[in-house]
Amino acid sequence: MDLTPRPSEPAKKPRKWLPIILLSLVGVGGVVIVTQFLRSAIDYYCNVDEIGIRSGCEEATRLRVQGTVEENSLQKIGSKTSFVMTFNNKSINVVYSGDPGGVFQECISVVAHGRMIDGTFESNRIEVKHSNEYAEKNADRIESSGSAACSQAQG
Amino acid sequence: MSQVLQSTSPTGTRATRVIGATAILVMAWVVVSGLLLTPQDVVQGESVRIMYVHVPSAWIAYLAFVFTAVASASWLISTKHSMGFDRFAGASAEVGVMFMAITLITGSLWGRLTWGEFWQWDPRLTTTAFLFVTYLGYLAVRRLEGSVEQRARRSAVVAMLAVLEIPLVHFSVVLWRSLHQGATVLNPNGDVKMDDLMLFTLFSGVVGFTLVFIWLVLHRQRTMLLVDIANHQGLDSAIVARRAEGSAN
Repeated sequence: MDLTPRPSEPAKKPRKWLPIILLSLVGVGGVVIVTQFLRSAIDYYCNVDEIGIRSGCEEATRLRVQGTVEENSLQKIGSKTSFVMTFNNKSINVVYSGDPGGVFQECISVVAHGRMIDGTFESNRIEVKHSNEYAEKNADRIESSGSAACSQAQG
Repeated sequence: MSQVLQSTSPTGTRATRVIGATAILVMAWVVVSGLLLTPQDVVQGESVRIMYVHVPSAWIAYLAFVFTAVASASWLISTKHSMGFDRFAGASAEVGVMFMAITLITGSLWGRLTWGEFWQWDPRLTTTAFLFVTYLGYLAVRRLEGSVEQRARRSAVVAMLAVLEIPLVHFSVVLWRSLHQGATVLNPNGDVKMDDLMLFTLFSGVVGFTLVFIWLVLHRQRTMLLVDIANHQGLDSAIVARRAEGSAN
């Protein structure tokens, strides 16, 4: 059994800065690549006015399209829901196969998943995109909650 | 050594008790105000109340990860390599991961109520999930085989790289098109569009969660100190036992 005393601590080596600097540069480089070069691949949706124009927003493919539900355009047709979605003064007709429910209403931003078929966007999924504004729902506003949403969406 | 262990055994101090009691009071106010006093949102209705937990927990998770990076950098830069920095980094990361998990769970519930979906791979949600997994990896690195110095060095490098993800998560809603709404309080315009009581309750939540964070980190890093001491004590005991065996032979 070796019971010799523990050796004294070796002299401290000078700190190696190069690996730290290299790792930091790799990290920063990664951030630059992700933020600058992968934009089109990472964006979650196309805007209404970009369908058929922007790369990745081709009409023939399944799309996620963002826009605002036009005021007075919401209609129930049997089990389907129809509305006009607008962005940058460009509109499309949307037919959703169901009732969106939840906080879906006119004048609110939504993302519809689906395909363009004969000029109509046929959607089977609607996601409500709520704004970053929070206001009290009070007695005065209950009657005009739709217009409150319009002012938020347009503001 | 056992005397050292006994003298450091209680992880609480007068300061932690004051912080803990204050945290309970502030959180009680947040619960009352968040559930009973604040109004419904004009669009989101009652579901807006999730904000008083979701937003503070996200901010505190960011804060925890920044503290982890600062403590890690301090360990790397300091000539003494005090293990206190390493323990603080580890404790802060553990608590940060807990808050990040709360952020993901409450965000998922909020998303179901407003978007209609528990989860979507949009830029904010994806980068947040990536941040969470990165810090789970950080905690795994801390449990690798090796000395406490090796643990500190490896985890410090990981922490300093991982913290770079935070700006990416926060600005993901600005850099890319996201289903997640933009920042309300920390928005680039500085124009906070939120009801006054909602905003006050939100800030109360941030204060309350910060106190909970401090309380947890102080206790956890002291627990880590006790574990390190116990491990060291175990090594010394083994050496004494081997010496005793040698003497007997």
